[in-house]
Amino acid sequence: MAEYTAKKLVQMLITVLGVITLVFFTLRLIPGDAASAMAGDTLSGEALQALREQMGLDEPLVNQYLGFLRDLVTVDLGETITTRIPIAELLLRALPITLSIALATIVLSILISIPLGTLAAFMAHKGRNWLDNGLTGAAMIIDLMPSFWMALVLLLIFSLGLGWFPASGQLNWSDPWALVLRLALPVIVLSLSQVATLARITRTAVLEVLNEDYVRTARSMGWSELRVLFRHALKNAALPIATVVGLSFGNLLGGTVIVEFIFTIPGVGNLLISGINSRDYQLVQTLIVFYALLFVVINFATDLIYKTLDPRVQF
Amino acid sequence: MNYQAPVKTTLLEVRDLRTQFQTASGTVKAVDGVSFTIERGERLAVVGESGSGKSAMAMSILRLLTHPGRVVGGEILLDGRDISRLSEGQLNTVRGRLVGTVFQDPMSSLDPVMRISRQMIEPIMRNLRLNRDQARAEAIKWLDKVGIPEPERRIEAYPFEMSGGMRQRVMIAMALASRPQLVIADEPTTALDVTIQAQIVEVLKTLTAEAGSAMMFITHDLGLVARFAHKVAVMYAGRIVEFGRVEDIFANPAHPYTQSLLGTIPSTTMLKSERLPQISGLPPDMRHEITGCAFKDRCAAAHDRCLAEAPRLTDRGHEHTAACWTPHGLEQALATGQQHATRLNKPFEPDGSVVVELNALRKQFATSRKMVVRAVNGVNLRVHKGETLGIVGESGCGKSTVARMLLGLERPTSGDIFIAGLAQMVFQDPAASFNPKMTIGDIVAEPLVVKSRGSKAERLDTVKRLISQVGLDPAFVERYPHQLSGGQRQRVAVARALALNPSVVVADEPTSALDVSVRAQIINLLVDLKEELGISFVFISHDLLTVRYISDRIAVMYLGEVVEYGAAEEVFADPRHPYTRALIDAVPVPDPVVESRRAATPLQGELPSPLNLPKGCAFASRCPMATDRCRAEKPALPDHDLSRQVACHYAH
Amino acid sequence: MTDITLTTTSAPKTGPFAILLAASRHPLLSHAKVRLALLILIPILVLTILAPVLPIQKPLETNLRAMMQFPSIEHVFGTDKMGRDIFSRTLAGVQISLLVGFSVASIALTFGMVLGTLAGFYGGWLDRAIMTVVDIFLAFPSLLLAIGLVSVMGTGIVPVIFAISLADVPRFIRLQRSQVLSLRSRAFIDAARTVDASQYWLMTRHIVPNTIAPMLVAASIAAANAILVEASLSFLGLGIMPPQPSLGNIVRDGQTYLEQAWWISTLPGVVILLIAIGLHFLSDGVRELLDPRSH
Repeated sequence: MAEYTAKKLVQMLITVLGVITLVFFTLRLIPGDAASAMAGDTLSGEALQALREQMGLDEPLVNQYLGFLRDLVTVDLGETITTRIPIAELLLRALPITLSIALATIVLSILISIPLGTLAAFMAHKGRNWLDNGLTGAAMIIDLMPSFWMALVLLLIFSLGLGWFPASGQLNWSDPWALVLRLALPVIVLSLSQVATLARITRTAVLEVLNEDYVRTARSMGWSELRVLFRHALKNAALPIATVVGLSFGNLLGGTVIVEFIFTIPGVGNLLISGINSRDYQLVQTLIVFYALLFVVINFATDLIYKTLDPRVQF
Repeated sequence: MNYQAPVKTTLLEVRDLRTQFQTASGTVKAVDGVSFTIERGERLAVVGESGSGKSAMAMSILRLLTHPGRVVGGEILLDGRDISRLSEGQLNTVRGRLVGTVFQDPMSSLDPVMRISRQMIEPIMRNLRLNRDQARAEAIKWLDKVGIPEPERRIEAYPFEMSGGMRQRVMIAMALASRPQLVIADEPTTALDVTIQAQIVEVLKTLTAEAGSAMMFITHDLGLVARFAHKVAVMYAGRIVEFGRVEDIFANPAHPYTQSLLGTIPSTTMLKSERLPQISGLPPDMRHEITGCAFKDRCAAAHDRCLAEAPRLTDRGHEHTAACWTPHGLEQALATGQQHATRLNKPFEPDGSVVVELNALRKQFATSRKMVVRAVNGVNLRVHKGETLGIVGESGCGKSTVARMLLGLERPTSGDIFIAGLAQMVFQDPAASFNPKMTIGDIVAEPLVVKSRGSKAERLDTVKRLISQVGLDPAFVERYPHQLSGGQRQRVAVARALALNPSVVVADEPTSALDVSVRAQIINLLVDLKEELGISFVFISHDLLTVRYISDRIAVMYLGEVVEYGAAEEVFADPRHPYTRALIDAVPVPDPVVESRRAATPLQGELPSPLNLPKGCAFASRCPMATDRCRAEKPALPDHDLSRQVACHYAH
Repeated sequence: MTDITLTTTSAPKTGPFAILLAASRHPLLSHAKVRLALLILIPILVLTILAPVLPIQKPLETNLRAMMQFPSIEHVFGTDKMGRDIFSRTLAGVQISLLVGFSVASIALTFGMVLGTLAGFYGGWLDRAIMTVVDIFLAFPSLLLAIGLVSVMGTGIVPVIFAISLADVPRFIRLQRSQVLSLRSRAFIDAARTVDASQYWLMTRHIVPNTIAPMLVAASIAAANAILVEASLSFLGLGIMPPQPSLGNIVRDGQTYLEQAWWISTLPGVVILLIAIGLHFLSDGVRELLDPRSH
């Protein structure tokens, strides 16, 4: 296990380095340079030059790159261009919000999708397909809905129409119930598409495992169908499910940007959009690297979980 | 074999069992009215080809079929109690406790993410009402009984840490540990090598006899039937067509299907000049209603009544029944076995010219951890013009690697290969060896196109000629591979191999993916072509009887080396290397009389890892007569030119 | 020569009618899912193409006397705050959507096929180089990669297509490579190698033809996905910028007036959903038709 972890860790570090490098060089591809793009037509030659120096754009490319790396390693993320607030501080303020939404979504969607998918597979295995067909159909529609549109429709119905949830307003951490109501719709929107993905993969994985020879072996030993389902089928089906949970985290991160925007939640996603709108490349590049790191770490964790679930995994 | 059942009481009685599969393209009557009985302690073999309903029948007894399969009728009396009427919950007290099951594929029949201990101990606790420690001791005892070395340690292993043979032993231990009255074994050795198969059969036979359990053994291998069954049920198209004691079935088969099936297996004494009897055609499509006898289209003795009315099982004396309108089946054609059609008697006469020569051929594969697998470890072989060389050995012995090097698909690590002319290949799996997007015509023409032989029209002519040469209708050129049966595809593979007039054709297990009744067709085709065209063949197989029949010379391989070489009949009649002897002993012969005379000591152990080969004789670890000299000093194969070579210090 | 057989009963053998008739008997069209897909996609496509000649207000035309009107015969999807016709704007947006979907699918397919085939077939350093880059791209959540790229390249249709493609190409490379790897060890490749077939022959005759069907299926899914991503980017204000209408920015415009004029945001979204469902059924149907097991 230690050797496996070490190997995966090295792989992860290589990917992270690649990610950082890619982001760095993509930014240098901006026509002109980041400073002039950022300034638009507002700055004169001298002021522009000052901005360049401030951003370190006058230094040789290699030094810029090494400096970028050093800053990331020492978590010296710099300041926003317009408001002069340390980026690290902004990130620390926004991160708990985004992570709460993401975590709540993951927990909620796993709690719904795994029993649902398992039940659908179990029934389909016995030739009763109605739940399976219904689930597959609903999952398909949800998957194909643009999530911003789904969010607006839910907002229209449940906030503006029925008034169950607040559509905007401050996040109040001291009043948990208000917080739950405030974040409920965003989490529901994200969970719907997560459930669509996870319930479908659970259904497929369990159905496949139920047709495996070792399930028949367990049945031939006289174990009841439910025991076989829980002891053998779910344990084996957990492997593909774990992989997909890890991968769908990427979609979830993308989704948080959209729901934060719609529900005006001051998370990392809104920070990113405001960064783009104010052409603050320093902020944007930091956040994009941050998102990628988060995703890479989640995938690393998935690999480790997979390894503990499946004794066969070598490398 | 004089079998006397100890006490004649019926354990299992199946009456008019019917099982159907509801599919989109119709109802498949997989089991269509099967009745039979098994006495206590009796071993019944159920024989049939794929699609005959034998497995569906076995799975129906414990209702282990999954949707869309369903038992639609019949009674299953176990010890007088009708278990077909039991609820799932009640049936679970029968499954695993009164009836144990061993399945076909040991690689997939154990839960891959669970240790053996967990899979074994809990059923024992439940069935024998033992506590965990007692159950564990019991499990270890059974693992030891089925021949698992170091059972205390191995019980904590995961299935993937064991070989197929070992996993099947675990399955048997699991099935037997609860002392069931009946063991259902569904093709338990099909996926295993011949020496391992012999071990597994022996374990099953001994342990069920010891416990007094009856056994139902599903197989397509008539040799295995002869080896250990008391009674035989032959199934065809969902019904039992013949049932009786094993001696009677083999000595006096009454149903044309049984008779033909027995004929398709080359016997140990069969001459090459005799043509292998073959069953023409294919089994019926079970999705359609069958009128009359299901075997009528493939039966030489079929008459009007067979077309109209399905025969029922009728008494043929002495617990022997058969479902055929004729009294003795195909009696004229196959009565004695002496009337096999003979070929033009053209015995093999080497003209001395060598077509293939392998000198000190070696192939090593580097595995990830800086270890080297010596797949082929110094092989010298010659194939003369018009000669068939058979290569036999267990899986992992390097026989397929030799073939791949011969064809240039792998580069030898050292040594050299000489081929006069061109080598072509017929592959094992007829499903994978064709590009599914190409027509049969394009497939057979491919070698010609690649080598730019002839114009398009000339190539089409050649392709059509080749396709009729292998016994297919030239109209097949426009079909796609998936529209052909396995046997037809293998014929196409032969046609493709012949397209460039090769001097040698390498056939790697060309019949092992085919049904028994179709195998003989392909074997006959290969022999005919050899005689017609004077091509040399290298025939690689684990099926020793077929190799003996088809080959002029045989090379026996073990761990990447040739351990014995000689004329086919000689090697079989007088094997000199202990490994050859063990291999031949392991081959089940479809003759209960021969089988009952055989000493029941199969070759012990499994193929050692080719990662670190021993210094001395590679076979020493499994050899019954190995000495210190064998372990220290490697016996060399004597010179090339000898017609008989044996790599053993103690060969006579 | 007047060797013409006149049969009054049989349909004419040429002409558009006969061609349509013959086409309708093609196995592709007899498949229920494909039919459903075409039933959804063809009307949308026809309306989009005919949009300029339809008797509706032009997408950019404002009408201050008809602001935020409820859907009616005249304005099928209603009007927005500047009195622009939502239906007309939606059709213009569909044009962009289809262009994005088709372009992204083509780009991903082309680069995926070429690079994936090379990586899988030749292996070695080329494979390692391609796959290292692919892995780095796959480390970004795809929507965020697209957001990052448009933030650098700016808004507009070309950057949007480029950004979405760049997120999809690595996935296509990976899919194609894994297909090639599994095909490379198949026995029919060995059979061709025994007659010394060239690498080019193996690739063009045996490998690529067997990879096309699954790649086409992936491409139609990618097209649906690209349409959704473009809409998302435009909705966030990072994709197609007003006044040029796109399905995403129409929804964005309407967001402010959700309470007063819900149709501005919701109806164009229904159209996106319909297009996505159509493409999904198309790919599903094609996959089932191409899968030999389903016969």
